[in-house]
Amino acid sequence: MRLVLAVIVCKILRFIGGLLGRGSSLPGQFALKVCPDVLGRVKLPENVIAVTGSNGKTSTVEMIAAILNASGKKVVYNKEGSNQIEGVTTLILSNCSLGGRMRGDVLLLESDERYARHTFRWFHPTHFVITNLYRDQLTRNGHPEWVYDAIKPAVFPETTLVLNADDPLVSCFARDHDPAKVKWFGLDECSVSTKEHHGVYHDGARCPVCKARMEYSCYHYAHIGHYACPSCGHRRHGTDFTVTALDLKEGTLTINGETGLSLAFKSIYNVYNILAAWSVCALAGADRETMAGVINNYMLKNGRMVTFTLGKHRGTLLTSKHENSVAYDTNLAYIAATDRPCTVLVIVDAISRKYFTGETSWLWDIDFDRLSAPHIQKVMLYGRYCNDLAVRFKYSHVPADKIEVGESIATAAEYLKDNGDEDLFVITCFSDRDKLLAHVERNG
Amino acid sequence: MELTILHLYPDCMSLYGEYANVMVLRRHLEATGVSVTVETALFEDTPDFERAGFIYMGAGAERTQKAALAALLPHKEAFQAAVDRGAVVLFTGNAMEALGASVTDAAGKVWPALGLADFTTVETDKRTPEDVVAHTALWESAAVGFMNKCSTTKGVNAPLFDRLSLGFGNEDEKGPEGYVSGNVFATHLTGPILVKNPDFTDLLIRRLFAAKGWELPEKLPVLPYEREAYEVTLKELTGRAGG
Ligand SMILES: [Zn+2]
Repeated sequence: MRLVLAVIVCKILRFIGGLLGRGSSLPGQFALKVCPDVLGRVKLPENVIAVTGSNGKTSTVEMIAAILNASGKKVVYNKEGSNQIEGVTTLILSNCSLGGRMRGDVLLLESDERYARHTFRWFHPTHFVITNLYRDQLTRNGHPEWVYDAIKPAVFPETTLVLNADDPLVSCFARDHDPAKVKWFGLDECSVSTKEHHGVYHDGARCPVCKARMEYSCYHYAHIGHYACPSCGHRRHGTDFTVTALDLKEGTLTINGETGLSLAFKSIYNVYNILAAWSVCALAGADRETMAGVINNYMLKNGRMVTFTLGKHRGTLLTSKHENSVAYDTNLAYIAATDRPCTVLVIVDAISRKYFTGETSWLWDIDFDRLSAPHIQKVMLYGRYCNDLAVRFKYSHVPADKIEVGESIATAAEYLKDNGDEDLFVITCFSDRDKLLAHVERNG
Repeated sequence: MELTILHLYPDCMSLYGEYANVMVLRRHLEATGVSVTVETALFEDTPDFERAGFIYMGAGAERTQKAALAALLPHKEAFQAAVDRGAVVLFTGNAMEALGASVTDAAGKVWPALGLADFTTVETDKRTPEDVVAHTALWESAAVGFMNKCSTTKGVNAPLFDRLSLGFGNEDEKGPEGYVSGNVFATHLTGPILVKNPDFTDLLIRRLFAAKGWELPEKLPVLPYEREAYEVTLKELTGRAGG
């Protein structure tokens, strides 16, 4: 009876919330009050797929949804990114009959690293995709191993783990799991691989199991690559789903030596997102042709990139999450790979839109040396924390005479409007981007 | 004037950009006319404490910190000897815990530490990531920064900071924080705290000069943007702490 009541409460609040344009966690929150174990009582679809990791969750989930939909499955997933237990409850109950049976063939969840254990206490995913663990929002997350320890209690014996073999920390999830219930994805050594590690810090320097020095035969990026610990034997596992060839310049890749794909967005991170989606969709029964068809025609909703005009400048805003050096490094690499003369504007004004902090140590994890490329004529450092940025750049290879520092974003916009016609790249976070976009003409 | 900085375990005890502390101190020393050599030691190495004028270790993941303790313990005597002859030591984040008697992990296992001081640390499964404003009698301005710890430390008889107006101290909210004894400085503040706090950097330089018997210039160099960055953070954090 409480189950029925919880479903009704959720549906009514969801309806009212929809009218008011409100967020999606409140209905679930009330439903959980009415029936705390409601998630344990509903009848879920045959496939319950969860995706977690530091970067790429949302993109991976959207690609999985697109592929499985094209395979004729009805997929229910948390589009709104409300990935804590209340949001998941809203999602599930909104799609339930009054009898507590969920509609759809697949429940697909983007799962917050820190909250997965609360959600999965009540039901266990059939497939759990873990993409990567890096330094991300450490003011909330502590550090990657802390996140690993937070996810671990959400891993249950009957769940099939779909793991990134190239990430030494993610690979540890398989250590006490039934090997028959672990599927691996990864990249062969290929055109992007290097013998040397790149980046300001190296979180793969030590074996996550025994802390001996890890040995790598190649790196794909950051600490992702082919590793083996000479001390305890923790090493990259052979893969079930493999990118066997990759040409990032051309934007092509080959999976399992047989399927050629083209990339909508030519980045190594996108390659991993595709591979993760491919792996779990194949396990859920999607066929090769359908998967390839969807990926080849995939229009990446790239909300992170906005083009605009400011004075005579052709501008591109690259949204980077503050407190996430990997996101920054991606965008810096993108700019470094362009070849026309340009100015780069970096803005750090509010560090987070969700919480207050003055923490700027993450600036030291970003590889700003990438901005020393000769075609980058000027680097403008703006926002409340412009001085922190300026100090950081003093320890980069960017020449001092290319750097300009100021607090007011409006002043920077005004200056650019009246001066110069070179390309302009703006790097900032969701929390700060509108402060610049207010001064420009957006394209498209 | 020549000085060797010994940076312990930079490959893994630098979780929040702590490597920057060594870079900033080095640059300040060079601007003061000191010729600086930075030596690093990994777990597998025997650290050269004999030559070190300044010894630094930053924060690591809890399991990495245990490995650092195990690596450092066999060199306890050499470390103590360096401290006795006046080497300046700075251990930040959970590296601070290494100076005490022991660290007990969240599972209850007790790990012996260097024992330079009597304090003991207990880890929990809760984290305290907080902005910090801290006050000390050793320099005039308030210190600013961030902590990201999961432990409490009991039995510190000489804290580095007498009180906090923001943040979690050794044992409790806003309580005394860190540890200081002679030229040994420790705090659970993480990240590049010397970048953030030029007055702390200056204090360390004064101690280094005194230990070496060098004559201190009348004014220590001020490097661009550091003071301004400090002022902005202080203003933001005190605004939040309610003055
Ligand atoms: Zn190992």
